[in-house]
Amino acid sequence: MLSFEGVPLLRLSRDTFSRQPSGERGPPALFALDVKAHETVVVLGDESSGVDALGALAMGLELPPSGRTTLLGTEVRTLDRRGQLAFRRRVGYLPAGDCLLQNLSLRDNILLPLRFGSDFREREIEGRVDVILAQLRIVRVADVRPAQADQEERRRTAMARALAFDPELVILEQPFDGLPDRVAAELLEVARGGETAEGSRRTLFVTGQELPTLLRSRVDRLVRVRKGQAEVVKA
Amino acid sequence: MLNQLRFTALEAVPLVVLLSGILSFLVISSSIGQLGRVGATDLIGKLMVVVIVRELGPILTALAVVGRSGTAITAELATNTVMGEVRALEGLGIDPFHYLVLPRFLGCMISVSVLIVLFDVVALYGGFVGASTAGMSGSRYLSIVLESLTTQDVILTILKGLTFGAIIGLLPSFQGLSVRRGPTEIPQAVIRGTVGSIVLIFVLSAIFVAVLQ
Repeated sequence: MLSFEGVPLLRLSRDTFSRQPSGERGPPALFALDVKAHETVVVLGDESSGVDALGALAMGLELPPSGRTTLLGTEVRTLDRRGQLAFRRRVGYLPAGDCLLQNLSLRDNILLPLRFGSDFREREIEGRVDVILAQLRIVRVADVRPAQADQEERRRTAMARALAFDPELVILEQPFDGLPDRVAAELLEVARGGETAEGSRRTLFVTGQELPTLLRSRVDRLVRVRKGQAEVVKA
Repeated sequence: MLNQLRFTALEAVPLVVLLSGILSFLVISSSIGQLGRVGATDLIGKLMVVVIVRELGPILTALAVVGRSGTAITAELATNTVMGEVRALEGLGIDPFHYLVLPRFLGCMISVSVLIVLFDVVALYGGFVGASTAGMSGSRYLSIVLESLTTQDVILTILKGLTFGAIIGLLPSFQGLSVRRGPTEIPQAVIRGTVGSIVLIFVLSAIFVAVLQ
């Protein structure tokens, strides 16, 4: 579903944040990870570990200095621009900081990808968004702007937007930061698409600095990045 | 795009009417006296068409739109970029050019063209008032001006409107999207977008005069 092969994360973090890679000399450590279908994989690492760039790398929004990243069997960066945009609609993406459009209501933020990226009729889109709003429990605040909503409501909206196309793979960057454990657990379940039928579960790739303790037992694999390499904490 | 039209065209109407009305009143009322002394009051028509309708109208309207909308476009898109919204759009498979730039581009082209036509119409009436206060009969003023006004002037004015509108839609958008480092870059981007648009508008005006007239 998703794989990273030989990506020098520390060099990426140095380029991104202008930090030196913790006094290391010699060739950079290479990061490798393979995420299988229906798995929930969480990758944790501190701010200078480069973990926060993994989502953008996977989506083809950033180019790794070396190595390669494949998403659903495709190296997104090798597609032309139109192909990249079309391909990304197959994947749900929740960027760090939510990145909702401030001049749109929460509802319109969820409508946006469906309006621009699908052939659905307006009524179908509205109906679909109504269902998602109810599922994420943000019907009450659907018409307010992001600045008027609290952090939990904004995160729920960003999650709803990521799930708008009902993708088979969802990439979440720091999705639980600043949320109570109960809300984090609820969002994880919504993103996975429920617990009942194993086969219908979405594949989840989550990055962040920490994972709420309550969620540790609910993920399939927990990986921590240290010195640029993946160390499996929970297999 | 409707939002862009409302902001760029509709909300700029009072400013354009004010600029146009005062400018034409001043030019015509003060010129009639001077031209009358040398017996050339008939040139008032040419003066009105060449100076105001053909040259100053498009330039002043475009400058007004750069000041109002060009700055707003750069600031808004630069903020979108700094907040990560543009990158999020790409992550959602939405082309930022289609969603952010195209409506502004088309909105500015239509708005500037419409505002220039409005500027010219108000200028004709402002000149009418100026001529009346300077002692020229209204009917004579109108007949002189309308005799000097040709279809080519109207086409040229609209062509300038479309071109200047395209500049105001594209250059500030490009500058807004080119911000990379952080919020401190936003004012610099606004300055680059505004100054660049003004320079291009004047340069293109000169090219229009050199090539088409």
